[in-house]
Amino acid sequence: MTDAEKGYVDYFEVLGLDSAAKPGEVRKAYRKVMKDLVFEIHSAEITEERRAHYLLEMAKLNAAIYILRDNDLRETYWRERQEVIDLEHEWRAAADAGSSEMDALRRRFDATVRHFLSHYVEEAMLDAGRDRECVEASGWNPAHERHASRILRHYRHGLYQDILERLPYHEVTPPRIDWDERRSIVAALVTGDKR
Amino acid sequence: MSAATRKGQTTDKPVSPELIAKAIAKAVWAGNFVNFKFLFLPFSPARADSSERFDAERYSYLLPDDRTVADPGYQQALSLVRREDVWRHVESELEANRPAQLPSDLLLLLADNAVRAGKYTSAALAYELLRVRSRMQEEFFAEADRALDRNDIAAGVHGYLIGTGLAYDYAAFPEPLPEVADFQVRALALHGDYPERPEDCIALQPREHSIRTALGYLLLSAEAEARLAARPMELREAFLEELVRRRDPQWDAFAARYREASSQAVQLGARLRADAEQSRNSREGLMGELAAEQLEEAQRIMVRLLGREVPQGEWWQYLKELAYEHPPAVLFVGRQLVGDTEVIIPLYRSDSPLPARLGLVPQP
Repeated sequence: MTDAEKGYVDYFEVLGLDSAAKPGEVRKAYRKVMKDLVFEIHSAEITEERRAHYLLEMAKLNAAIYILRDNDLRETYWRERQEVIDLEHEWRAAADAGSSEMDALRRRFDATVRHFLSHYVEEAMLDAGRDRECVEASGWNPAHERHASRILRHYRHGLYQDILERLPYHEVTPPRIDWDERRSIVAALVTGDKR
Repeated sequence: MSAATRKGQTTDKPVSPELIAKAIAKAVWAGNFVNFKFLFLPFSPARADSSERFDAERYSYLLPDDRTVADPGYQQALSLVRREDVWRHVESELEANRPAQLPSDLLLLLADNAVRAGKYTSAALAYELLRVRSRMQEEFFAEADRALDRNDIAAGVHGYLIGTGLAYDYAAFPEPLPEVADFQVRALALHGDYPERPEDCIALQPREHSIRTALGYLLLSAEAEARLAARPMELREAFLEELVRRRDPQWDAFAARYREASSQAVQLGARLRADAEQSRNSREGLMGELAAEQLEEAQRIMVRLLGREVPQGEWWQYLKELAYEHPPAVLFVGRQLVGDTEVIIPLYRSDSPLPARLGLVPQP
C-alpha cells in the first residue's frame, strides 16, 4: 500500500496477496495465516494490550476472507475503495487550486470515507465473526465480539485519522510546528508547574 | 470592521476591534476552547452581521476583568492576537460568509494554556484540530518518563496525568470524545465479583498485581500502565502514592476516616467470632438479635468510610459514592457478607508499605 492509500484498508495485503488473487488462493492464505496467529496466541502471555492486538488481527483476517472469497462482495469492496481514493485526489486537487467546489467536495469525501470505513472495517469484521468458516478457523465467539466492538471502533477511527492527517487543513490554518520548541514547552509544563 | 451581508440582510452594528481582540485573548489565556470557537460562529457577538452584542450582560463572561488584564499570560495572548498577520486573518474570517478557519497560532497557545490550567479536554480538542494531539500526548509521556528516570516522581506523575488527560475515546459513538474519569463505573467493575478467596479481593492481591491494577485504574489507561510496567516496584509504589494524592486532594480526610473504620472492622471481626461461639448454645430468637446487631455495626463501617449515610444504601451504592468522592479509596476496600447482606469494609495488605505511606494504617 502506498502512503497515498494509507487508511483505506487493503484486505489483499492483510493476507499477503496481490489484488488479482483468486478465491481459492484467498482461502489457502487465510488458513495459513490464521493458523500461525492462533499458534502465536496460545504461546504468548496474554495481557490486556496483547488481547486487544490479537483480537484486532483475528478480526482483520476474518473480514479479509469474508469479503474476498465472494466475487460480488470483493468487486464491490475494491470498486468502492478505488472510488474513495479518487475522491480524495479530487478534493486535494480542488483545495490546491482554491476551487469554489472545495467545500462541497470535502463534505462528499468525508461522508464517503466514513461510510467506507464503517462498512468495510467495523461491520464486515463483526459480520465475519458470525460466519461459520471464520468461527471454525479462528474460534471466534460472542465473548470475542463483546470485547472487539470497542477495539474495532478504535481501529476504524485510527484509520480515519491516518487519512485526515494527510489532507489539507480546512478548520484551522496550517500550523507551523517547531518540535524543538514544543519539547521545551512540554518540559516546562511537566516539570515547572507540578501542582 | 466593516458591516457585512449575511442571508441578504445588512446590519450596521458596530463591533469594536478592541473588544474582539480582548475576548479572543481571554479565551486563549484561559485555555477555553469552547469560548474561542464560539467567537467565530455565525451568531457570535464578534461578527458584524450578528445581532448579538458584546455589551449584553450575558456576554460579559467573554471579556477580561481587571485581574485578568494584569496577568502576563493574558498580555502574551493579546500580543499574539494583535500580531499583524494573525489579526488580519481574524478580521477576514469574521467577515467571511462561511465556516471560519481558526488561526492555528492562537489555537496552539490556547492548547498549551489549557494544559497549564489542567483543562485537558480543552487542550485535547485544540491539539486534535491542529492534528498534533497524539504526538503531543507522546511528548508528554516521554518527558514524564525522563522525569521518572531522574527519580522526580511528582513531575513523572504530572506528565502521565497530562498524557492520559489528552487521550481521546475514538471508540465513542457517534463522535470521538475525550476519555472521561468515570471512576464510579470503573470501581464497580473492579469489585464486580464477590471474592470467594481473600486473594480474589483487589486489596489483597499480590503486590505486583495490585500495583498494576491500581495504576491502570487511576491513570484510566492500560497503555500508560504498560509503559510503567518495566519500572522497579519501589518506583511504581512511590508513583502510585503520588498519583493517589493527585487524584484525590481530600485524601488525608478520607485516610482519617479509613483508620477509624479499620478499628471498627477489627472490633466487628472479634465480635463475629465471639457471637459465633455464643450462638452454638443459644436459642433461635437470640441468634436473630445478634445478627441484626452485627449488620448494624457493619453498616456503620460503610458510613464511616464514606463520611455520611446513604439512606437504604446497598454496598454498591456506597462503593460508587466512595469512588466518585475519593477515586483511590476503592483500592483499599473489599466486599464482605454479614448474614445475608453485603457491606464494604477496609482491607489492605499488611506486607505492603503503601497503606502506611498513605496514612491508612491505624496507630497502635
